[in-house]
Amino acid sequence: MRSHTLRVLILVALAVASFQVVFQPVRLDGWRPAWQPPQPRLRLGLDLQGGTRIVLEAERRPGVEVTADKVDAAMRVIENRIDALGVAEPLLQRQGQDRIIVEFPGLQDPQRAKELIGRTALLEFVDTDHQSLPRGAEWLPDNRRVRLPDGQVVSLPKKVVVTGADLRDARAEFDQQSLQWLVRFRFAGEGARKFEDHTGRSIGEYLTIVLDNRVLSSPVIRARIPGEGVIEGSFTADEARDLAILLRGGALPVPVRPVEERTVGPTLGRDSIDRSLRAGWIAAVAVVLFVTAYYRLPGFLASVSLSVYALLVLALFAGLGATLTLPGLAGLILSLGIAVDGNVIIFEKLKEELRAGKTLRAAIAAGWRRGLVTILDSNVTTLVGAAVLLWLGTGPIRGFAVTLTLGVLASMFTAIVATRWLVELCADLGLAHNLARVADLPRRPEVAA
Amino acid sequence: MKAWDLMGNRRWLYLLSAGIVLASVVAMAIQPALGRPVLNWGVDFTGGTLITLRFQDRTVSTGQVRAALQPLGLGEAIIQKVHETGDVSVRTRHLEPEERRRLEQAVRERVGPFTVLSVDDVGPKIGRELRNVAILGVAVGLALQVVYVSLRFRSVRFALAADVALLHDLLLVLGVFALTRATVDSSFVAVLLTVVGYSINDTIVVFDRVRENLQLRTREPFLQLVNRSVLEALVRSINTGLTTLLAIGSVYLFGGPTVRDFALGLTVAVLTGGWSSVGVASPLLVDMTLWAERRAGQAAVQPTAQPARAAASRRGRA
Repeated sequence: MRSHTLRVLILVALAVASFQVVFQPVRLDGWRPAWQPPQPRLRLGLDLQGGTRIVLEAERRPGVEVTADKVDAAMRVIENRIDALGVAEPLLQRQGQDRIIVEFPGLQDPQRAKELIGRTALLEFVDTDHQSLPRGAEWLPDNRRVRLPDGQVVSLPKKVVVTGADLRDARAEFDQQSLQWLVRFRFAGEGARKFEDHTGRSIGEYLTIVLDNRVLSSPVIRARIPGEGVIEGSFTADEARDLAILLRGGALPVPVRPVEERTVGPTLGRDSIDRSLRAGWIAAVAVVLFVTAYYRLPGFLASVSLSVYALLVLALFAGLGATLTLPGLAGLILSLGIAVDGNVIIFEKLKEELRAGKTLRAAIAAGWRRGLVTILDSNVTTLVGAAVLLWLGTGPIRGFAVTLTLGVLASMFTAIVATRWLVELCADLGLAHNLARVADLPRRPEVAA
Repeated sequence: MKAWDLMGNRRWLYLLSAGIVLASVVAMAIQPALGRPVLNWGVDFTGGTLITLRFQDRTVSTGQVRAALQPLGLGEAIIQKVHETGDVSVRTRHLEPEERRRLEQAVRERVGPFTVLSVDDVGPKIGRELRNVAILGVAVGLALQVVYVSLRFRSVRFALAADVALLHDLLLVLGVFALTRATVDSSFVAVLLTVVGYSINDTIVVFDRVRENLQLRTREPFLQLVNRSVLEALVRSINTGLTTLLAIGSVYLFGGPTVRDFALGLTVAVLTGGWSSVGVASPLLVDMTLWAERRAGQAAVQPTAQPARAAASRRGRA
């Protein structure tokens, strides 16, 4: 007698555990577990739930070395800026040596976030002697000439007094007197001293405030300033706030430039989830109906183990914290096909063994023994392909490879182990007659043997 | 059951497969003559910006949008209407953020209010990378699979036959995409990968049957043995293909326009993957084996079915 009880317990435990991992009907974060409405806790890709994904690449300029360390530092700066914006659950990742992936799930208007994260935000206080520069004037890359807003180029070397690196704080403020938005900043340590020294020395001269080589304002120095001041520049409220965020977060150690951006609006994202879910349900029901109609009781048992398979794949997926994307969905569908295939292969062999006149038990043993070889070979070839993609791929290709790999592994388990346990259980429960119907035999196989 | 002599009539299988390949090649070859690229490359590959807009007024025409964009000087823009939903997609070269803001502003002012459904903005470098990864992935994957199949089946012939079948499948998918003008984007890469996965998988199941029957050491000639194996595996091939198609079919029908091209590709992948195991891989396996046996001078297994053909092929290879 086989230990059916144990096997059924294992399958049920597996299904329950998987269900818990995916849908979390029981919350376990406190010391006392609590019920909550079950919901799929899968991390959905931006193509499914909506949001923005931006890939930034560090710009290689002569004299500036791009290292992973610098890119990591840039990533931290960007992270601070995003935090200051208050965007929910941003995701930052370094890709390769010189790229940063930034994802904002469910962000409505990425425009502002985009402008913030891509800015180098190098703030410089430049000594321009007796020359005032208009807002928008720009230093050319050689740092010796300035292009004025009207297109005229004048020669003016950039003498930097102090940079934003020494800033301790920056806040947006509304000035009641001028009725304008401005940014109040404060220097710390070395920067404060330099700032104070310079302003003390150069009263009556202009101190031009420059952000990313572009002039913000060019005020005249009226008195020695003890490490604190304001930037005026006829800002709007948002502009002032964003500038304060940029200055607080500091400059990027390397300039970055967006090389890829994908935005899926919330409407389309919601639509995709709904449709995918519906398509998924319909697909599942159609497959179960077909398999059961064709293979009868074993087909139904296969459907049961396919349900375990589906839960298992989703649980592996949720457990690994992987993100489900549209190509990932394709991988799932393909692996569903492979999972069904595993069962079909075995049932066809079972049928042959029964027709050859074997007893049900012998046929089950032989069917699975022969099926195992086929399933292993066909699935290992698929896994080899998926492994190559995992190694090579990024983004969509990787998503496909991950779900395909998990799906194939889980499908081997369900076809080889779970379905067999269920079929053997039914055989011992006296359902042999029903099982043998798979072979369309008019007689009971036990009698025939 | 009446036993079809598929392998004996394999010239018809070859003919049909050759027809499929030829049709695919023609479908691709005529595209330049029709004044368009062979495949409808999406921005993922070419680089560029694709914006899909949903206007409050669903009757907005592409002409209105085109007129609004004209003065901006953004270069050649392709403006299309998604018929099902009334959304409008605008595809341009890779735009700087500032240019995109101007585009949205111009459309909002001159055409009407809208919401942005999606934006795909891809720099040209990314497109090149995706192409390289796709090609490298398929190539390396193929090579490794040849090694694995050769090891497991103790003969490189099985692997070669499986791979020729795979090439046939890849060509057909390319042909279908060329003909239907379905967008070739990164999900197309997933389609190609599915073709690779499914086609090899399906062929292996049929070949496994051949191997199983070979191990029984019957005195059956190879041709008949392969024929029997194909027929024995046929029910499984059809059932598996059908169930997978059921799943993909529901995605095609209910998954919405965003995944339709993708589901189409998967459908073709499953159909051709199933066909090529029977119509390409198995006949090739028969011919390669017969040829090898003849070369080894084993006259005992000489097939009687097509002596003239066999002679021709021998002359051809000598």
